[in-house]
Amino acid sequence: MADTKILAMCGKGGVGKTSVSALMVKLLSQRNDRKILAIDADPAVGLATALGITVKKTVDDIRKGLITRIQKGESLGNKETLKLLDYEVFDAIEERDGYALLAIGRPEDEGCFCKVNNLLRDIIGDLAGKFDIVLIDGEAGIEQINRRVMKKVDHLVLVSDTSAKGVCVAGTIALVANEKKAVDFYSMGLVLNRVRCQAEVDDIRGRTDLDIYGWIAEDESIRDFDFKGMSLTGIPDTSPALAVIAHVLTKMEVLP
Amino acid sequence: MNIVLKEHMGLELGSPERESVSCLLWTENLSSIADGRITLVGPDFPESMGDSLPFGKVVLAGVGGFSEDNAYDRHKEMDFLRYDLDLKGFMMRAVSQYMREWCRIGRDVLLQGFSAQVLGSALMCLFKGLPYVKAVEVIFFTSSTHDVSRIKEITAPAEKIIAAMNKMASEMDFECRSCAYQDVCDEADGLKGMRDRLMEKTKRALHG
Repeated sequence: MADTKILAMCGKGGVGKTSVSALMVKLLSQRNDRKILAIDADPAVGLATALGITVKKTVDDIRKGLITRIQKGESLGNKETLKLLDYEVFDAIEERDGYALLAIGRPEDEGCFCKVNNLLRDIIGDLAGKFDIVLIDGEAGIEQINRRVMKKVDHLVLVSDTSAKGVCVAGTIALVANEKKAVDFYSMGLVLNRVRCQAEVDDIRGRTDLDIYGWIAEDESIRDFDFKGMSLTGIPDTSPALAVIAHVLTKMEVLP
Repeated sequence: MNIVLKEHMGLELGSPERESVSCLLWTENLSSIADGRITLVGPDFPESMGDSLPFGKVVLAGVGGFSEDNAYDRHKEMDFLRYDLDLKGFMMRAVSQYMREWCRIGRDVLLQGFSAQVLGSALMCLFKGLPYVKAVEVIFFTSSTHDVSRIKEITAPAEKIIAAMNKMASEMDFECRSCAYQDVCDEADGLKGMRDRLMEKTKRALHG
């Protein structure tokens, strides 16, 4: 795990976390020299959709399958269960040119099967350690990332639009991460999305202590791709948004 | 465990979309094992570059000193050996209870000659590291889905016995009349003795 860099996207719903994640995947996968794993931790599998992937199996499907087997009386030892889950999780990975995607699916909703959940988290952690870069597109908060995906990340990327509510949620997430230690991280920064002018950025800079990694101007082409349900990997390389994402990745030392 | 992604893969064996079977059989009758022999039925790995093939693997182990007390633990130890295989450019995922085994071999190592002989030899080395393993023979199948399915049918009775052992080892209930594996225990020598030992162990654990 030592060489694996883990990035986690957090922020209020609807601010563009998934678009930012998809653009990061596009940029990282173009280099072709590192193994990239994208983890879609959004129950609605938004990242998969943004990457043009139809997910055939989620981690939650695997979890439910195992619980059903246990409830039917199938006897499994610990090690057999671990190997079974490992097989199933690898089978759930969608592999594309330059990257792989794992979708987590819906959160647990049928009683407490902590052992299964913990085994799955361990397997995801072990699998992630085989990749060079892991990018997690999370739900709004980071507690879910901690509970369902990973206890420790390198870079916590807070995404917000320019709304006061969006920036406020980003601030709250930062507070929870810092003070309640909801997840261990090495660095944290804010990416502003759908910005109309520099003055908006300056104004937000005056209202937050968060390090602003970069800002993406309102981009008609991204809106158009979203509207048509097209994969964001098809965004032209000349897109200004991609240049900002490249800058953000460089700032986090994920890109040279 | 290692991973090999599709973009670096030279050959895939027994993927979830293809038929696969993996079986470990052991006997104390050493004369029935051709120690050190690796047999491949079907094309060898290097000549199948770019393919996804069905996969069958049967390991025949000649063992000594097995009893009703240690047979289950030793079987598990041998079964889990495959997860200790750490070969560069080789990935293996397996599910014992469904007899499935899924392997990927990286393009680079395939070009360097990673063959059934290489895989079989590495596996044998692990088995020979166990003091009670006296002889090992490995048979691989890459020939056809039909052949792999046939191996699954042939080895199914042995797998039933293993499933019965798994059930015994994981349950506190030793009531034979309600057990789905009663017919297996009636036919396989030693299983009832093993069950009696487990019952004794369980009682000792419960009552001190």
